[in-house]
Amino acid sequence: MSVGDRTVRLIARDELRMMARNRVAVIAFAMLVLLTLVAVASSWAHRNGVAALRDRHAHVAERAFDAQPDRHPHRMVHYGTFIFRPPGPLAAFDPGVDAYTGNSMFLEGHRQNTANFGDVRQSSLLVRFGQLTPAFVLQVVAPLLLIFLGYGGLARETERGTLRLLMLQGASRRQVVRGKLLALGTVALIAGAPAMIGLLLIAGQPGALAQYMLAPMSLIALGYAIYLAAWAVLILLVSALVRRSRDALLALVAVWAVTLVLVPRVAPDLASAAVPLANRLQTDVAIARDLRTMGDSHDPDDPHFAAFQQSVLARYGVDRVEDLPVNYKGVVAMEGERMTASLFDRYATDSFAAQARQNGIVAAIGVLSPAIALRSLSMAAAGTDVAGHRRFLEQAEAYRYALVQRLNRMQAEGVRYADDTARDAGADRRKRVSGDHWRAMPDFRFVPPDGRTLATAALPGLVIVVGWLALALTLLALATRRLGARS
Amino acid sequence: MNLWMQEWRLFSRQRLAMMALALLALLTSAALAAGIVEVSRQRAAIAAIPAAQAEDIAAVAAYVDRTKDAGSAAYYSFHPTWDAPAPLAFAALGMRDVAPYILRVRALGLEAQIYDGDIFNPELALPGRFDFAFVLVFLAPLFVIALFYDLVSGEREAGRLRTLDALPNGGRALWRRRSALRLALLWAALGIPFGIAALIEGVAGSTIAIVLALIPAYLLFWVALAVFVGRLRWNSVTNAATLAATWLVLVLIAPTLANVAINTAIPVDQGAEIALAQREAVNRAWDIPREDTMRRFYAGHPEWADSAPLGPDFHYKWYFAFHQNGDDSVHDRVRAYRSGLEARDAAGRALGWVLPSVGVQALLTRLAETDLTAQLGYQDRIRDFHRRLRAFYYGYLFQARPFERGDFGRLPRYQQYSFSDVRI
Repeated sequence: MSVGDRTVRLIARDELRMMARNRVAVIAFAMLVLLTLVAVASSWAHRNGVAALRDRHAHVAERAFDAQPDRHPHRMVHYGTFIFRPPGPLAAFDPGVDAYTGNSMFLEGHRQNTANFGDVRQSSLLVRFGQLTPAFVLQVVAPLLLIFLGYGGLARETERGTLRLLMLQGASRRQVVRGKLLALGTVALIAGAPAMIGLLLIAGQPGALAQYMLAPMSLIALGYAIYLAAWAVLILLVSALVRRSRDALLALVAVWAVTLVLVPRVAPDLASAAVPLANRLQTDVAIARDLRTMGDSHDPDDPHFAAFQQSVLARYGVDRVEDLPVNYKGVVAMEGERMTASLFDRYATDSFAAQARQNGIVAAIGVLSPAIALRSLSMAAAGTDVAGHRRFLEQAEAYRYALVQRLNRMQAEGVRYADDTARDAGADRRKRVSGDHWRAMPDFRFVPPDGRTLATAALPGLVIVVGWLALALTLLALATRRLGARS
Repeated sequence: MNLWMQEWRLFSRQRLAMMALALLALLTSAALAAGIVEVSRQRAAIAAIPAAQAEDIAAVAAYVDRTKDAGSAAYYSFHPTWDAPAPLAFAALGMRDVAPYILRVRALGLEAQIYDGDIFNPELALPGRFDFAFVLVFLAPLFVIALFYDLVSGEREAGRLRTLDALPNGGRALWRRRSALRLALLWAALGIPFGIAALIEGVAGSTIAIVLALIPAYLLFWVALAVFVGRLRWNSVTNAATLAATWLVLVLIAPTLANVAINTAIPVDQGAEIALAQREAVNRAWDIPREDTMRRFYAGHPEWADSAPLGPDFHYKWYFAFHQNGDDSVHDRVRAYRSGLEARDAAGRALGWVLPSVGVQALLTRLAETDLTAQLGYQDRIRDFHRRLRAFYYGYLFQARPFERGDFGRLPRYQQYSFSDVRI
């Protein structure tokens, strides 16, 4: 080991000793560790509670569906089914938008309902102050602690003239800076450790540490490490540029407030002003309008359905719907569902595209604030971002469509047309199909994304965070050359 | 007066302090503008309802006209309700970004409709809105800290403290003057832009007065804190670090901890359970004798009991009766759910007495009618409207009156509620 390295380590040890003597800093550090532990515990308990509750509700809904008596299949189309989005295992680390999106959905024929009962509408106003999660502690609180511990790192030495003393003893400017960086980096590592241990614990729960979660988890760990490292470098950079430690503290707190409190709030406002989102009323009215132009199954003279009827009759080589081997009402129901579902898909795709554009604007602004980039990295890797919610909605819609079409097919093939149109006293009985069919329907199972998908989605955020670290390091290297020059 | 002018001259020469004030005024103005833009976007969306609704209902009317069946009219017609932003909503958007302010309902079971949301981008809602309440609650304390942290310690470190204390009109009077001047300037930076925006938006004078009084009260808390820390005779840097840490705890950490505590202490019956129970109650009707359904319906709604008995054919009055029965069957659950939400909200607001940040946010969202109370008030108005809708259609269904095209013009209209009777 070279002499230079020993100097660096000596300076680092000295700096750490200085920090340990600062009582406020030690208390703050202890509080951060405590806060992280509370956050890990409460976030984990919350995630597991939510998972158990949604699982229970899902089972109740599935049992209720299976237990339905003999019914006309179309009754089951309207009986529908409730599905619940299970939170991913990493939601305990970063729940992302989970509280803001509804987590239960009612699926039925001809309609696309909203996901309802998000926590944000079931909690007190405090929920809008932020949520206590390991991610929040690392993103917001840890940088401020690093600022308190590190603002004076270089400014103090120049201010008091001790820098010159160090250099007289043979330490180079670079060694001084590297020593301070080593010290602050060590603190950052220790500050981040409890949350990372929490992440490991969270991953240790059954099913989570399947191999496919390894990639997103490593990305989360890497992302936060780089993020905190970037803060450590930034803190020393400001400390090197500013002549008085007091100014360094004020400047850093200002930078912290702007990047972590102000910009994350301003960016969404700019995004929503730039890209408007159609509301539900306008969307529903537009879908109804499109449906009228495509064809109206209620209208006996409707050209689309007249042509459709002709094509069905031709396919079976008969002249009247009564002669069809299948129940024409079921066939029409399938065609109607196909048409509405195609419109739902189109409008949902448009809405998601608009939301993606909004998030793209926020991400672009994220170049100015590493916190935004890290937040999107963290949510994307945990699968709790808008893309994660979209996955749920799309799987829900696919399941809804498949379920409704199975029921419609059952009507077409299992209920005779003559019975379906009959109005005599026994007709109701003849229209019903056996309840065994409901038990044969597959239940909704949310297919979680694989690790590769999550990791890929997290990469853009990682690039920005790495860019910040690289930029800060370059600037620090430049500032190091001029360190103490004017004092 | 001269002494005040003197203080102002001294203050105005501090470039950083003046820049901080200008920045605060700028942020306040930007937040107010953002709030006004958002509120006018919401007003525009509400103003666009009638055109869309007219188109939609015309198509239903054309379809229903073939059968003149009131049941089809009731089944296929959606009726808009809306919750226009209150005059002060621009200053504290509260829940208006995550809870719907437009909701269309049918005369069918309301419990399956009233919890629906609107389309919004959750990633944009996650960090919270950039509005005046945010600037006041979150940012203004940081400016107080910046202007006050070295008020005394700075003079001590510059070696002027003893001289200042010895001056005539020095000592305590001097610090009071300096503090009052800074407080007044901060108040102006927040209050003047707010006052102008509030006047433009037509906020009631009394409400403006309350907010203008609230600003210095909240600032005073932070000034008092800064003065208290200053009394400990630490150096300026320690003061700044201590105050910033206190800010972090009071504004960010304590509310999140309290949120966890409240949600654990006050479990709320999940809304999803209402939806599940209501659906069971509604759909069961297909499997029980129709007379049972009607008997139950008439017991709760005797005003329709003299309607003709059901024939063998499907009749919409039976269909709407079991939807009504479904709603009635979850009545207790709905009440429990709501009182759970109210209990959580009350606990959150009670915390406002201890945490000024929460208190100010609660008060502003109450004045702006963007809090949970306002949301529940909107739901009450939807329920009232839905009751009128049902009564309207039942009049046709249970008295066997045909539903003519002109009857669509007689549909109950949702009444926008007036904001005159806000209570805090």
